[in-house]
Amino acid sequence: MTDISAHPSGKRKTSSLLQLDARTKRRNAAERRFQIYGLVCIGIAMVALVMLLVSIFSGGASAFRQTFATFEMTLPAETLDPDGNRNPEEMAKVTTIGYQNVLRQGLVTAVRGANIVPEGMTDADITGMLSPEAAADLRNRVLNNPELLGQQVEIDALAHGRIDGYFKGRVTMQSAERDANVTPQRLQLAQAMADNGLMALRFNWGFVTKPDASDQRPEAAGLGVALLGSLYMMLVVLVLSVPIGVAASIYLEEFAPKNRWTDVIEVNISNLAAVPSIVFGILGLAIFINFFHLPQSASIVGGLVLTLMTIPTIIISTRAALRAVPPSIRDAALGVGASRMQAVFHHVLPLAMPGILTGTIIGLAQALGETAPLLLIGMVAFVRDYPDGPPAGLFDPASALPVQVYNWTQRADPAFVERSSGAIIVLLAFLLVMNAVAIILRRKFERRW
Amino acid sequence: MNDMRIAERDVSTSETKITARDVNVHYGASHALKGVDVDILNGHVTAFIGPSGCGKSTFLRCLNRMNDTIAAAKVTGRIELDGENIYDPKVDPVQLRAKVGMVFQKPNPFPKSIYDNVSYGPKIHGLTRSKAELDEVVETALRKAALWNEVKDRLHAPGTGLSGGQQQRLCIARAVATSPEVLLMDEPCSALDPIATAQVEELIDELRSQFAVVIVTHSMQQAARVSQKTAFFHLGNLVEYGETGQIFQNPRDPRTESYISGKIG
Repeated sequence: MTDISAHPSGKRKTSSLLQLDARTKRRNAAERRFQIYGLVCIGIAMVALVMLLVSIFSGGASAFRQTFATFEMTLPAETLDPDGNRNPEEMAKVTTIGYQNVLRQGLVTAVRGANIVPEGMTDADITGMLSPEAAADLRNRVLNNPELLGQQVEIDALAHGRIDGYFKGRVTMQSAERDANVTPQRLQLAQAMADNGLMALRFNWGFVTKPDASDQRPEAAGLGVALLGSLYMMLVVLVLSVPIGVAASIYLEEFAPKNRWTDVIEVNISNLAAVPSIVFGILGLAIFINFFHLPQSASIVGGLVLTLMTIPTIIISTRAALRAVPPSIRDAALGVGASRMQAVFHHVLPLAMPGILTGTIIGLAQALGETAPLLLIGMVAFVRDYPDGPPAGLFDPASALPVQVYNWTQRADPAFVERSSGAIIVLLAFLLVMNAVAIILRRKFERRW
Repeated sequence: MNDMRIAERDVSTSETKITARDVNVHYGASHALKGVDVDILNGHVTAFIGPSGCGKSTFLRCLNRMNDTIAAAKVTGRIELDGENIYDPKVDPVQLRAKVGMVFQKPNPFPKSIYDNVSYGPKIHGLTRSKAELDEVVETALRKAALWNEVKDRLHAPGTGLSGGQQQRLCIARAVATSPEVLLMDEPCSALDPIATAQVEELIDELRSQFAVVIVTHSMQQAARVSQKTAFFHLGNLVEYGETGQIFQNPRDPRTESYISGKIG
């Protein structure tokens, strides 16, 4: 053998292993630089995440707490049930205005009883301490349980949004002077009531369970209808897009002949994934509402539109997951005489399941946060009534979480700022729950051998 | 020809099981197999040898129509199993593969338990009526594959947790469990160490009493050890086919001679 490895000069230069040569130094420096770039990128991403979370949580956490006036009073049977037979249908003739008067009486008595002197305030001024919603709440409570009449009950009345704003630092004495909805006297009274334990900020489930309220009553606005609407839409998306998407991918990946037609279909599915979501909204408006005459604002239409949006995402990730299953598994199944369908359903699909679930959850998460197409099919409507239980409730008008956020940011009252941030927290929590379910399912399906 | 079918599975006769005539395979533009004629006998181990890319694996995969799964592969000619053309349009390849089992180059147990690996074939073919019967089939198959004693206490442990040689014997047990009539083996020992190889070779010799065994191998020593018939493939041609002893000691074709003496390949 000739010595082809020798140095061209004929003499081999040897160097010490203990001394780094220039080339090694350069390579090491490049590697270090690359690691630093990576760390910087991760740092930027983390800072962005922290900024997002801080801004949302600092703005939105207060939405979960609400000011309530708590006092005891006797519900006067003679005004609230003039006929005296406790028939809810007849009692319903007494409107919220009647209850408002009763509440005022109770509140005034409670304030006097606590030896608070509301300076320069009429009884009507004192009513303004409470949310108009408080009277409606009391009316519902009485109609549901007529036995309460004539009894001493504890009232938990929602305070007016401005009073709530005072305890949250949004409303000050200075701003109250320029505000038509509140006076400094009311704030002073609120402070006095709080000092006497008649008024307090506490956790408010109503924010999550109650329906939306009008622009005048931010304190009563809740996410109940939007949550239900989003839940129904996710159910529709899950039930429709997963079977359709997975079946389409299995056909394309395992059965379809590879020819020009399947190429065209493939390209189109990839393009579909990139179509702006508002286009799907127009499609839904044209097809589901104008052609099939499905009801507007209904979660079934929203779900169908989001299904169309989600299918390409699921197809792309499912195909990738199927392709990642080693062909030897298919060979093994075919080799013992399994049909192609048996090979797919018994062996390939279970192995691809974690990947399919990941794709599904990404698709669902996208769909959950989608706003634009829902605006076009009327889900932006102001809906106070809860939809029925599924399946009939799918055709009832409902709202959706992201649309509710959008809706609230449009409103004039500054109290809606905290509520929209709070709604985003609920949306993120919804997402987190979905991801957690996906991770648990994935763990279950993942084969560790 | 149908009367040549034998009812009982004890294969001691040396009648023809598979007849291949003028088999050609094209992968797109390339002509991978050129006019192959072979008779595969019952009760024999037939070895296919030849350099890489010579078409021996391609031919093996024709025998149970595994090439159907490759879209570009086109097979022409006649391959008869007990006188029936397996490429007849009426033949369902799934039914064929139940009769012609296959063991692959790389051990490929399903990521399931040992028991599930072996019982899968009998289950999908409905060969057993009860759990007890299935248990028996699994035990018999594992015994035939000389694996029973090693795994009988952990039948529900994952099959992929076994050693390479055990995995390959598990794959053999899986193929045997469906009671095939022919067993195809595509370089079954190429991923195994010498001890596991010896075990599998011993197994092959025992299996030939029940099946016609066809084995593709790169190792000429292995072909000489386990087979009774040997076919030498070169560049898509079947160069020579005959008794193993004759092929190795007294090859008729100069190409065979150069290959077994190490000059080509």
